[in-house]
Amino acid sequence: MTNINPSAGAVEDGAPPDTPGGTSGAGPAVRRTGTSGWRAMLPRWSPKLGVGLGLVVAIALFGVLGPMAVGDPDTVRDIGMTSPGGEFWLGTTQTGQDVLAQLAHATRGSLQIGLLVGVLATLFSAVFGVIGGYVGGAVDEGFSLFSNVMLVIPGLPLVIVIAGFVPVERRGWWTIAVVLAVTGWAASARVLRAQTLSLRNRDYVAAAKVAGEKPWRIISVEILPNLLPLMASQFVFAVILAILSEAGLSFLGLGASNSPTLGTMLYYAQNGFALQYGAWWWFGPPGLVIALFGCGLSLINFSIDEIIDPRLRTVPATGRRARRTAEGGGPRKRKASPAPRRDAFGRDAVLTVENLDVVYRGERPTHAVKNVSLTLGRGEILGLAGESGCGKTTLAYAINRLHRPPAEVTSGTVVFHDRDGTDIDLLALEKEELRAFRWSKLSMVFQGAMNALNPVISIRAQLEDVLTTHRPGMSAEERRERCAEVLRLVGVDPRRLDSFPHELSGGMRQRVMIAMALLLDPQVMIMDEPTTALDVVVQRGILREILRFRDELGFAVVFITHDLPLLLEISDRIAVMRDGEVVEYATAEEIHKRPRHPYTRELLDSFPSLTGERGAFVRTGESGARERTETTVKTVKEAGPR
Amino acid sequence: MRYYARKLGFYLVALWAALTLNFFIPRLMPGNPVDTLMAKLQQRGGATDPSIRRSYELLLGTDTGDPLIGQYVSYLANMFRGDLGVSVSVFPTDVSTVIADALPWTIVLVGLATLISFLLGVGLGTLVGWKRGTWLDSLVPATTVLAAVPYFWLALILVAIFASTLRWFPLNGGYDVILSPGWNGEFIASAVYHGTLPALTIVISSVGGWLLGMRNMMVSTVSEDHILTARAKGLRDSRIMTRYAARNAVLPSVAGFAISLGFVVSGSIITEQVFSYPGIGSRLLQAVENNDYALMQGIFLVITVAVLGANLVVDLLYGLIDPRTRAGNR
Repeated sequence: MTNINPSAGAVEDGAPPDTPGGTSGAGPAVRRTGTSGWRAMLPRWSPKLGVGLGLVVAIALFGVLGPMAVGDPDTVRDIGMTSPGGEFWLGTTQTGQDVLAQLAHATRGSLQIGLLVGVLATLFSAVFGVIGGYVGGAVDEGFSLFSNVMLVIPGLPLVIVIAGFVPVERRGWWTIAVVLAVTGWAASARVLRAQTLSLRNRDYVAAAKVAGEKPWRIISVEILPNLLPLMASQFVFAVILAILSEAGLSFLGLGASNSPTLGTMLYYAQNGFALQYGAWWWFGPPGLVIALFGCGLSLINFSIDEIIDPRLRTVPATGRRARRTAEGGGPRKRKASPAPRRDAFGRDAVLTVENLDVVYRGERPTHAVKNVSLTLGRGEILGLAGESGCGKTTLAYAINRLHRPPAEVTSGTVVFHDRDGTDIDLLALEKEELRAFRWSKLSMVFQGAMNALNPVISIRAQLEDVLTTHRPGMSAEERRERCAEVLRLVGVDPRRLDSFPHELSGGMRQRVMIAMALLLDPQVMIMDEPTTALDVVVQRGILREILRFRDELGFAVVFITHDLPLLLEISDRIAVMRDGEVVEYATAEEIHKRPRHPYTRELLDSFPSLTGERGAFVRTGESGARERTETTVKTVKEAGPR
Repeated sequence: MRYYARKLGFYLVALWAALTLNFFIPRLMPGNPVDTLMAKLQQRGGATDPSIRRSYELLLGTDTGDPLIGQYVSYLANMFRGDLGVSVSVFPTDVSTVIADALPWTIVLVGLATLISFLLGVGLGTLVGWKRGTWLDSLVPATTVLAAVPYFWLALILVAIFASTLRWFPLNGGYDVILSPGWNGEFIASAVYHGTLPALTIVISSVGGWLLGMRNMMVSTVSEDHILTARAKGLRDSRIMTRYAARNAVLPSVAGFAISLGFVVSGSIITEQVFSYPGIGSRLLQAVENNDYALMQGIFLVITVAVLGANLVVDLLYGLIDPRTRAGNR
C-alpha cells in the first residue's frame, strides 16, 4: 500500500547505487547555514503551503482532540446502517456504531503509527546515510551496500511475511510501526549519503577538520543543519508511507490487533459490505482522510523541496508581455530610425544596437542594460569588457533574444544587416523567424563548454542537429562531411565525432563548441568568456584560431570578457561596461593609450602586468613583448595555427 | 566493463541477502510453523512423508538439533534445486508449481501497468516541467491527492462504480471462468477485459510520483547551459524539449526505478487481493490466511527475485542511456 514516490529526495540522488556522480550534476543547492541562514531555511509562504498546512493541522487536531469530543466508537445500537444525519453526522455502521466516533479514534491511531515510523525511519536513515557518508572507507561501503540491499528487497511482501508469522495477539501497533520503519528507511539513507558526501568536501567542513574539531561536532554543527530541509522532506514522506502501508496491512487483516486505525476501519467496512449496500459514509471517509492527509503533507513538501532546490520555485508571474518579448516577438513600437550602415572605420556594419534597455522584472526591477548603442562592423572584433554583473552577458543574450523571462527588453533596437543587403529587426522577428535566424546568421560560443554541450548525446549528434534543423536539404553524407570539416578546421580529430563531451578535455570541448559555431558560416559570432576556464596555453591556441577564422571566413565577433588586457590584444574596438552602461567605447588603441573614463583606468590598473614598463602581457604565456595591439594581432596571426 | 560487473555483483549480494533473510525470519519468529504445517498436512490426508517434513524443516527451521550452518547450506541447496516444499493450502501441489501458475498473471499485469504509468508520468512530467508557470503546473498538486489515495480504497471505489453500478467491467477474476487458459484470441481478450480495472488502479495511483519526479528534474535541467546552447542553435522547441531537456531529466527517474518498483509491487499485491486476481499477490495473502508458511516464503522469494531482476535490467539499460556511467571503462 505504498504508492508514493519520495519525490525530490529520491530523484535528486540520480545515480544508480554505487555510481556517485552519475547524474547531470543537478544536485540540490545546499547553503551554508550561518546565524542568518536559518531564515532561509523556512519555507516561503505560498497558497500550496497554506492549503497543505491547513489540511494537516485540521486532520491532526481531529485525531488529537476528536476522540475526546465524540462518544464511544464501539457502542452497538439496534439501528443498523443509517445514513448521515441527525445524531450521527457520518451515519452508523451495520451494527449501529457511530462512524464519526470511529473515524476520530482511527485517525488518532493512524497518526500515531505514522509519526512513530517517521521518527524511526528518519533516525535509521540518518545513522546509515550521514555517518556512512561522513566516515567513508569501509564503513561507508558496508552501510551503503546494506542500504542498497534493503532498498531493492520489496518492503510490503516482507512485512506481510513477518506479520504472517507473528500471531495476532502479539501484533501491537508498535510492532507494526517498527517493522514498517525497518523496511522503509533505505531510500532516504541513500539520498542522505550522497548529500553528506558532497557536503564533506566543502571548504568550511575541511576548515573545521583542520581546526581540529571532533567528528561528532562537525557532523552536528556543520553537516546536519544543511541536511535538515532534506530530512524534513524525507520525514514527511515516511509519515505518508507509513500511514498508507499500515492501512494496506490492516485492510488485509494483518495490521495491529489492539488499536483502531483508518486501515482497520476500512477492513471492517469492506467485510460489512459497506460499498455493496451503498454505505459510502462508512467506506468513504477513512480513505479520504488518508488521501487528504497525504495530500496535505505532499503540498508542504513542495515548499520544502523549493528550499532544497531553489530552481523549483515557480517563476514569479511576469505577465504575457515579458514572455512575448523574450521568445515570441510580437508587436513593438518599431521601425526605428534608419540605422547607420557603416561603423567608425567606414566598414559595412553587420549589427547595430541602439538605445537598448533590458530590465529584470521582479519585486525590485533591475535595470541590467541601460541605453546601450553599439555598432559591429563586418569582420570586426568588438570587445565587451566589465566586471561580473555589469550587464555584458545580459546585453549579449538580448541581442539574440536569449534572455529569459524575468529579463525583458523594454526599449531600443537591434538590427542585423545581412550580407545580401536586407535589414533584419531582431526584436520584431516572429518566433519561427527568430529560430531560423539563430546560428545561421549569428552563432554563439559560451563559457565553460563542459556545461554548454549536452552530456548524454555524442558530439556528432549535437553538430548534426544544427544541420538537420537549418539545412534540411543536406544528405546524411554531406552532413557527416561538413561536421568532419569543421572539426578539422579547429584542430580536433574528426574521429572524435563519436565521443561524448565528458571524454574530451576542456580545451577540446571549447574547440568543438567553436566548430559548432562555424557550421553554418555565420556572419556574427558572440563569444561569452570563451577561454576563461582554460589554462593559459590552451587559451592562447584558441584565441589564435579565432583570429585566423575571422580573417579567413570574415565573420564579426563580439568578444565578452572581464579581462581587459586580453581585449586590448585582439579587439578592434572595445566597449567598457559598468552597471549596465557603456562608459567608454573606443578603439583598442585609444583605450590602451588614452583611457578617458576613470573606470577604464581602474580596470587597466587592476592587472599588474600592464602597469610595468616593459613585458606587458607577460601573463599571456607567449614570449616576446607586445606593446601595441596592432602588432600583437599580427604576431598572433603570423604564429599560425600551431 | 566494470560498471556491468559491479551491477551484477551487487545483485548477487542482494539475492544472497534475500535468501538469508528468508532463512532467518521464520527461525526468529515465535511458534513452531513446521508442526502447524504437518498437522494441516495430515488433516488433508497427506502422507507424513519424512522428506516433506525435512524440506519444511529446512525452510522454516525447528529444533531438530542440526547445527544452524548445516541447515543453512542444505536450505540454499534446496532453493537452487527449486524445491520450496509442498503447499498445504493448495495441497498436494508443490509450492513451485503454485507460483509458476500465478506468476505470469502478475508479471503481465504489474509489468504492463508500471510501463504505462512510467511512460505516462514521464511524458506528462516533461510537458509540465517544460511549460512551467502555465496552467499545466496546477496539475501537479492534483496528482498528489491521487498518489496519497490507498490503492485498495481506489480499487474498491473503481469496482463499485465501473463494475457493480455501470457493469462495464467484471467484478473480479483474471479471465472468464468458462474459458480454459490458453493462447487463443478469446481467452486473451477476456484476460485484457478482466485486467483493465486492476491495471487502471495501479496506473492512477502511481502516475503522480513519476510525473512529479520528472517535472522537478525538467525544471532543473531547463536552467542548464546546454539548453541555452540548444536555443541559441536555433533548434525547434520540440527537439530541445525531448532530445536536450527530457533526455537528461529522465535519467534520475530511470535510476530511481528501483525505489518506485518496490512501491508498485507492494501496491499491486493489495490490488490483486481486491480483484481476486489469480496472481502472486492474492496467493501470498491466501497463504498467510491459511498459515501456509512454505508458500508464503516461496512467494516472498520469487517476488524479491523478480524485483531484483527488473532492477538489474533497468540498471543495465541505464548504462546504455547515460554514457557517463561507462566513463573510464572503454
